[in-house]
Amino acid sequence: MERKPILEMKKVSKQFPGVKALDQVDFCLYPGEIHILAGENGAGKSTLSKCMLGICQHEEGVILYKGEKVSFHSAGEAAGKGIVAVHQELSMIPYLNVSQNIFFGREPTIGHSGLIDQRKMTEDTKLILQELNCSDIDLQVPVKKLGIAEQQMIEIAKALSFQPQILILDEPTSSLTSHEIQSLFQKLRQLKARGVAILYISHRMEEYEQIGDRITVMRDGKRIKTVKTGDLSEKDLIRLIVGRDIHEFYQRTMVPDKKDYLRVIKISDKKHKVNACSMNVKRGEIVGIAGLMGAGRTELARLIFGIDKPSSGEVYFDDKKVTGRSPEYMVKNGVGFLTEDRKRTGLAINASIAWNIVAAGLQSLFPTKIISEKKNTLIAGKYADQLNIATPDVKRSVGELSGGNQQKVVIAKWLAANTKLLIFDEPTRGIDVGAKTEIYKWMDQFVSEGGAILMISSDLQELMGMCDRMYVMRQGTIAGSMTKESYSAAAIGQMMMGEKEI
Amino acid sequence: MRKKRHLYTLAALIILVIISSAINQDFFSVSNFVTILRQSGILLILSLGLTGVVLTGNIDLSVGSVAALTGCVCGKLLVAQMSIGTSIMLSMGVGVFAGLCNGILVGVLNLPSFVATYGMNMVVSGLAVIVMNGGVIYGLPEGFTNLGIGSIKGVPVLIIIAGVLFLVLRFLYQYTIFGRRIYMIGYNKQAARYSGIPCLKTLLGAYIVCGLTGSLGGILLTARLNAADAGMSETYGLQIVAAVVLGGTSLLGGEGSVTGTVMGTFLLTMIVNIMNINGIDSNWQNFALGIIILILVWFDGLSFRNSLYLSRIRLPPL
Repeated sequence: MERKPILEMKKVSKQFPGVKALDQVDFCLYPGEIHILAGENGAGKSTLSKCMLGICQHEEGVILYKGEKVSFHSAGEAAGKGIVAVHQELSMIPYLNVSQNIFFGREPTIGHSGLIDQRKMTEDTKLILQELNCSDIDLQVPVKKLGIAEQQMIEIAKALSFQPQILILDEPTSSLTSHEIQSLFQKLRQLKARGVAILYISHRMEEYEQIGDRITVMRDGKRIKTVKTGDLSEKDLIRLIVGRDIHEFYQRTMVPDKKDYLRVIKISDKKHKVNACSMNVKRGEIVGIAGLMGAGRTELARLIFGIDKPSSGEVYFDDKKVTGRSPEYMVKNGVGFLTEDRKRTGLAINASIAWNIVAAGLQSLFPTKIISEKKNTLIAGKYADQLNIATPDVKRSVGELSGGNQQKVVIAKWLAANTKLLIFDEPTRGIDVGAKTEIYKWMDQFVSEGGAILMISSDLQELMGMCDRMYVMRQGTIAGSMTKESYSAAAIGQMMMGEKEI
Repeated sequence: MRKKRHLYTLAALIILVIISSAINQDFFSVSNFVTILRQSGILLILSLGLTGVVLTGNIDLSVGSVAALTGCVCGKLLVAQMSIGTSIMLSMGVGVFAGLCNGILVGVLNLPSFVATYGMNMVVSGLAVIVMNGGVIYGLPEGFTNLGIGSIKGVPVLIIIAGVLFLVLRFLYQYTIFGRRIYMIGYNKQAARYSGIPCLKTLLGAYIVCGLTGSLGGILLTARLNAADAGMSETYGLQIVAAVVLGGTSLLGGEGSVTGTVMGTFLLTMIVNIMNINGIDSNWQNFALGIIILILVWFDGLSFRNSLYLSRIRLPPL
């Protein structure tokens, strides 16, 4: 069967200062296919999609859309022609509600009066969300009040409302739970059947076979290979992506202590998002918390760390009860919180790498309370080397780093603060395979040296691979727990959803 | 990459000096530079402390009235025959108290600093009016006025005090944990909080330092004028903020330094000085100063927007 590509790129190149972001890339996208773009951060995946959308202008080569040479100058122009993208970074306006966001700038009007037809807007929004199986999202609240996963779904809903012919998805599932991912996939398959071409950028290899028809692997701005999904084993694929062999994804050395390091007893918060949760973590352990988005996992972590005040319940460290917790107190006592939202709560993105690395450990690193820039740089350099942070100079702004390296800077920050217990919320969200393995390796090393990790993740694979024990949360309560020997995805899924929904 | 924005201010300063020297022979002389230094002394002291508050991403609009109230209180104490040292120490309490109030309004009650400190500005200047009851204090002891007009070996005392204060605050902001915390809060308050940085304590500290420099400025102004009245610092008002911003400190926090503020202050003072030397009608001076500030901020905005634009292009990792 001879099909005509809807979009074709011929020898497209794009130069950024100092780096060739795209290097003579040939690429074809057919209608009715889901084409996966794989590669490490900085491999050129995003740049490729940005060139299609007109966010970046390519310098060499041609892009043919429906057989015609095109060169869009803005994403709006591309959207008008049927090419729409959902980016990794959310682009919602936080104070507007769901339908206002979806129809932003193209609100339906009552006749030609210029008045916004609120009812039609709400109705249309409901329809779109129903198709995505997420009609339980509250349309009236400002989107900033919604969780990241819900925002992500709205972002996708917005893209679909354009009736695209090419849909570009950049890491759409990085903050979704498996349940939500499945309904997204279902929708994507429908679109595919309708002849929509989908370009799917993702780091999650387990998704490739589930959803993809073909995979294009990129590395260092070059297209390395395009294959049918299933034609390559996961191992071969990883080798293509990283450019070298990676051994044993999840490594664990078991050395748990006998005594509890952290013990939480019946902790609850005022908003009832966390309800009488109890758990414990020993030194040398990685303990996981699984659960759907909104199950109260992050809220629990915030309670333990003292960001929010609990309404009842107790927390013990080393068998000592701690009251009046604040982040300041917790950090001083060796607890760190690596949050899911690096840019908002993890890093000062415009400050230097060096400044970020010492941010949590100022008091212990500079006991005289006097800071010398030289010592700061030296300390930061040490941790940057230890964690393999790819930068020529720690004085550079942390915003220039890739996601994986930014995550390493946050890890370095907690290492430098002499952290003993790390609460790790979504350790590898939006991070490429190479950096992922490094982070896993680091986690294992950290606990084998007497540290402890409480890990929250939406990636079940990762939880089962890394955790010695796991708690499953549902609707603010601990629905159950299990040890490594009894892990099964089915059992965990059942606990997450509750018996009824199975 | 930390942007050295105060270098733009330095460039503007140098250009201004060159142009002025070309226009008027009187400008480029030791005596005129000493005059500029002397004239900038009070503004400099007032804006040095504010720099710390602006670095946290907040503002303090009450500095001018804190200076006025402090001056009035100090004057009252002096004419009541209290010793110079005690009068100064006691009147500095005004700054500590105002700073504490500002810090609590912003840090504990979470009011936007612009509104909170504007309110405090009214309260404090109102207090000054009440304290003075429409009167003026004059005829202060010589030992006190020397702080404002005296000099040691030809160097004005005022400049010595401003210089020492600059060094102290530069050290405080650039080389201490307290200073680093100020910057981190300005860069990203949430991330600072999650990193265990005591945000409230730091914010209170920044506001108290600002209040203290406000008080110090007020005392020196009183000494210089050899008089105190409730409206004596009116001319400074927003000039204090302008000096900080012209010096390259970002109102969003995180970027900037007291070194920049020194340059911003010199720039402002020099513009006034140039207008005086060239005999520009004093009725026109405010108008001209306003226009010049707008032009400078516009230039600064151009270069800053440029750097923002550059930072938006994410470089792939090396």
